[in-house]
Amino acid sequence: MGSIVEPWVTAENGNATAKGSNRELRHGRTAHNMSSSSLRKKSDLRLIQKVPCKTLKNILSNFQEVILGTKLTLLFLAIPLAILANSYHYGRPLIFGLSLIGLTPLAERVSFLTEQLAFYTGPTVGGLLNATCGNATELIIAILALANNKVAVVKYSLLGSILSNLLLVLGTSLFCGGIANIRREQQFDRKQADVNFFLLLMGLLCHLLPLLLKYAATGEVSTSLINKMSLNLSRTSSIVMLIAYIAYLIFQLWTHRQLFEAQEDDDDDAYDDEVTVEETPVIGFWSDFAWLVGMTLVIALLSEYVVATIEEASDSWGLSVGFISIILLPIVGNAAEHAGAIIFAFKNKLDISLGVALGSATQISLFVVPLSVIVAWIMGIKMDLNFNILETSSLALAIIITAFTLQDGTSHYMKGLVLLLCYVIIAACFFVDQIPQKQPNGTIVGLQPKNNPGSGFFAA
Amino acid sequence: MAGIVTEPWSSAENGNASMTPKGSSRELRHGRTAHNMSSSSLRKKSDLRVIQKVPYKGLKDFLTNLQEVILGTKLAILFPAIPAAIICTYCGVSQPWIFGLSMLGLTPLAERVSFLTEQLAFYTGPTLGGLLNATCGNATELIIAILALTNNKVAVVKYSLLGSILSNLLLVLGTSLFCGGIANLRREQRFDRKQADVNFFLLLLGLLCHLLPLLYTYVATEDTPAAVISDMSLVLSRSSSIIMLISYIAYLVFQLWTHRQLFDAQDQEDEYDDDVEEETAVISFWSGFVWLVGMTLVIALLSEYVVATIETASESWNLSVSFISIILLPIVGNAAEHAGAIIFAFKNKLDISLGVALGSATQIGLFVVPLTIIVSWIIGINMDLNFNLLETGSLALSIIITAFTLQDGTSHYMKGLVLLMCYFIIAICFFVDKLPQKQPNGFHMGLQQMNNVVTATGGGVFSS
Repeated sequence: MGSIVEPWVTAENGNATAKGSNRELRHGRTAHNMSSSSLRKKSDLRLIQKVPCKTLKNILSNFQEVILGTKLTLLFLAIPLAILANSYHYGRPLIFGLSLIGLTPLAERVSFLTEQLAFYTGPTVGGLLNATCGNATELIIAILALANNKVAVVKYSLLGSILSNLLLVLGTSLFCGGIANIRREQQFDRKQADVNFFLLLMGLLCHLLPLLLKYAATGEVSTSLINKMSLNLSRTSSIVMLIAYIAYLIFQLWTHRQLFEAQEDDDDDAYDDEVTVEETPVIGFWSDFAWLVGMTLVIALLSEYVVATIEEASDSWGLSVGFISIILLPIVGNAAEHAGAIIFAFKNKLDISLGVALGSATQISLFVVPLSVIVAWIMGIKMDLNFNILETSSLALAIIITAFTLQDGTSHYMKGLVLLLCYVIIAACFFVDQIPQKQPNGTIVGLQPKNNPGSGFFAA
Repeated sequence: MAGIVTEPWSSAENGNASMTPKGSSRELRHGRTAHNMSSSSLRKKSDLRVIQKVPYKGLKDFLTNLQEVILGTKLAILFPAIPAAIICTYCGVSQPWIFGLSMLGLTPLAERVSFLTEQLAFYTGPTLGGLLNATCGNATELIIAILALTNNKVAVVKYSLLGSILSNLLLVLGTSLFCGGIANLRREQRFDRKQADVNFFLLLLGLLCHLLPLLYTYVATEDTPAAVISDMSLVLSRSSSIIMLISYIAYLVFQLWTHRQLFDAQDQEDEYDDDVEEETAVISFWSGFVWLVGMTLVIALLSEYVVATIETASESWNLSVSFISIILLPIVGNAAEHAGAIIFAFKNKLDISLGVALGSATQIGLFVVPLTIIVSWIIGINMDLNFNLLETGSLALSIIITAFTLQDGTSHYMKGLVLLMCYFIIAICFFVDKLPQKQPNGFHMGLQQMNNVVTATGGGVFSS
C-alpha cells in the first residue's frame, strides 16, 4: 500500500540535499505520505500538558499521536471487539467483518509510523522502508493464507489489490478530480506513469505464460507434468520479477529521481495550509519502532482471523470466496490510500494520485506476488503464477485500458468514470461467478453446492 | 541478418548523376542504411601491405579480394567452423557436433552477406540497392525456412521465424536500450517515434493474421472434423500471406520512395564523421556478385546440416526442439546485427538501433513468413499461419509491450531492462516446456490444443 515517489525530505533535518527551493522540498514527500496525511489531524496536546509526571506525559502524548492521530480512530474499536468475538466464539462471519474493519485504521497507522521512521533513517532507506512496509497488510494476509494452504485466497487477494488500485482508486480519483476541476485542464507527467505500466505489462506476461501453458497442453499429458512445468516457470519468473523490482527501486530512488518529482503548482498557498504536519517527527525513533512492531503483530492477528473465517463468511453472506478476496479485502485494505488519492485529485494534484495508485499496483504486482511465490516455494507449497483465465483476462484488460487512458498526459472526469465502471463490471463478474473452481492439486475453491457438505473448502 | 533500408544509397561519391536533392554532403553520408552502419562496426580496415609484395597482379587482386571479404570482419575467427562442420559430416562425427559447428559457421557468413550486399549496392544505385538489402538481409532465416519446409519440418520453420521476431523485438532492442541507457545515464535519449510506429502497426497486422487461424481451432465444436478446420485455416493463411506481401511491398514503396524523410537518421555531430568509412566499394561488382552467390551456397549447405541434425541435437542436449528453434537459432543468426545495435545505442544513436531491430522484425513478420507460406503452397506442403497458443501469446504480448514502451519517443535503461527480462521469461517458458510434440498430418506442431485429435502417425517427431 505504499508507493515511492520522492526521496524523503531531509533539508529540514539538516542534511545537504540540493533540491532547490524550500517549497520544492516540502513538495518532495512521497505521494503515499501526502495522501495519508490528509487523514491525520493535529493532536491536541493541551490536556496532556496538565499531567504532572513527565514519563506519563510522554507516554500519553505518544499514545495520543499514534492512536488518536487519525480520523479513522473510531474504527480502532473494532479490534478489541474482534478479539472478544473470537474468544467467545461468536459467529464467524461477525469475526470476519470486525477484523476487516479493524484492519483499516491499522494500515493507515503503519504508513504513518513508516513515514515517521524515515525522518530518522534518511531518504533512501526511508523510501525502501516505505516500499516494503507500505503493503504490509497484503503481504501478511498472503503469507498467512499460504501457511494455511489457501493458495486461491492469496491469488485472488493480490489480484484484487492490483485491480482495485488500477481501476477503483484511480477511477474515483480521476472522476472526483475531474468533476471538481471541470473548467480546468488537468495534466500530469506521463513518464512516471509509463514506467509503472511497462512493469505491469511485464508482470502480466509472467501471469500469461503459465496460463497459456496449461491450455496448450493436450488432454493426454498428465496434469502433474503441466503443473510441474508451470511451477518451474512461475518460480523462475518470480526471481526475474524481483530483479526487475530492485532495478525499479534503483531507477526511482537513485538514477532517475527527477522523473518522479511532483509537479510544480501555481496556487501553492492553498497547498501549504494542507501540509499541516510539520516536517519534524512527532514521536521518538524507538517508540516509533515499538509501535510499528506492535501494530504489525495486531495486523497479523486480525489477518489470521480473516483468513480463518473467510469461508464461513462467504457461506453465510452468500458471496463466493473469489468475490470476497478480489473485491472486499482490497477495498478495506486500501481505504486510507483511496481517500488520500481522491483528496489530492480534488486539488488538481494528479501526479500524487497517480503515484499512489500506480505505484501501489506496481509494488504488489512485482514485489508482493513474486515474494509470495518464493515464500510458498520455501514452505513447500505449490503456488504458481497461473491466476486462471477469468482473472488474468480482467487483469490484462485493466492494464491495457488504464495504460491507454493515461497515455496522453491529461485527464477529465470521463476517464475516471470509465475506469470506475470497468471496476464495477469486473466486480459484477465475480459476484455472479458461482462456479466452483478446481485447483490443480484437487482442492475446490468457490461456492460449493449445498448438497456437498463433506468436501470443505481447500481440503488438502 | 536483416537488411533494412533507411536511406537511399550515397551515390554522390560514386559520381552517379542521380543526385538526390537532400542537402549537404553530410546528410548523404548519413544516409546509409541502419543495417549497414551497424554491421560496419564489426569490420576492420584491411591491411594491404603484405599483399602489395606479391608480384603477380592477378594473384594480388585475388588475394586482396580474399582478404577484404574473408578477413574483413572481427568475426573472421568463426570461419574455421565451416570447414570443420563439413569435415564432421563426412567423417560421421556425432550430429550434435555438426549442429553446433554449423550454427557457429552461420554467424560470420550472415555478416559477410550483408557486407557484400552493401558493396553491391554501390553499383546498383539507391533503390535497387535498398531492395537488395531488404531481400538478402534475411537470407539466413529464409534459407533455413525453405530447407526445413522441403524436409517437411513445418514446426521448425514456424518456431525459427517466430523466434527471430521475438529476438529482434525483445533481445536486440532490450540490450541496446539497456546498454545505451547505462552509458548515457545523464543524458536524455530521444528517437523519432514515427519510424517506430510504422513498424509497429505492420507487426500488429501480422499478429492479426496469426491470431485468426489460431482462433479457428478454438471456435470449432466437438463434431467439426479436424480436416475442415485445417482446410479453413490453410485457405485463410494463404490469402493472408498474399495480403501481407502486398502490404510489405507498400511498406517498401513508403520507405524508399514517398516518405523517405521519415526514415532519415537523426542529425549528427562532428564525431560521427570519424566512424564512417570511405564511401567507395572495396571490391568490384562481379567479384562481389560471385562472392555473394558463393556465400549463399555455403549458407544453404550449413542450413541443411542444421535442419537435418536439429532433433538429434535436441535430444542429446536435452533441450526441446522448440527451445532450440525459438531461442538458439535466432541468437546465432542475429549476432552481427545485435552487436551493431548495441554499439550504436552506446553512442546515443537510438534511431539506428531501432531501425535495425524493428526493421528486421517487420521484414521477417511481413516478408519471410508469408513468403514461406507461398513457397510451401507451391511445394505442396500444408503450412498455415497458426503458430499455436503459447507462441502466439508470447508474440502478442511482446509486440504490445515493445510498442507501449517505445511510444513516447524517449528511452532509459529501465525500458531496455524490462524488454530483456521479458525475453528471459519467454525463453524460460520454452525451456521448461517439455511436452511431447505430436505431428498428425504435418498440421499441428508443438503443443496441441485439441483434446480429441489423436492420430497415430508413428512415434517419431516430424515423421511425415
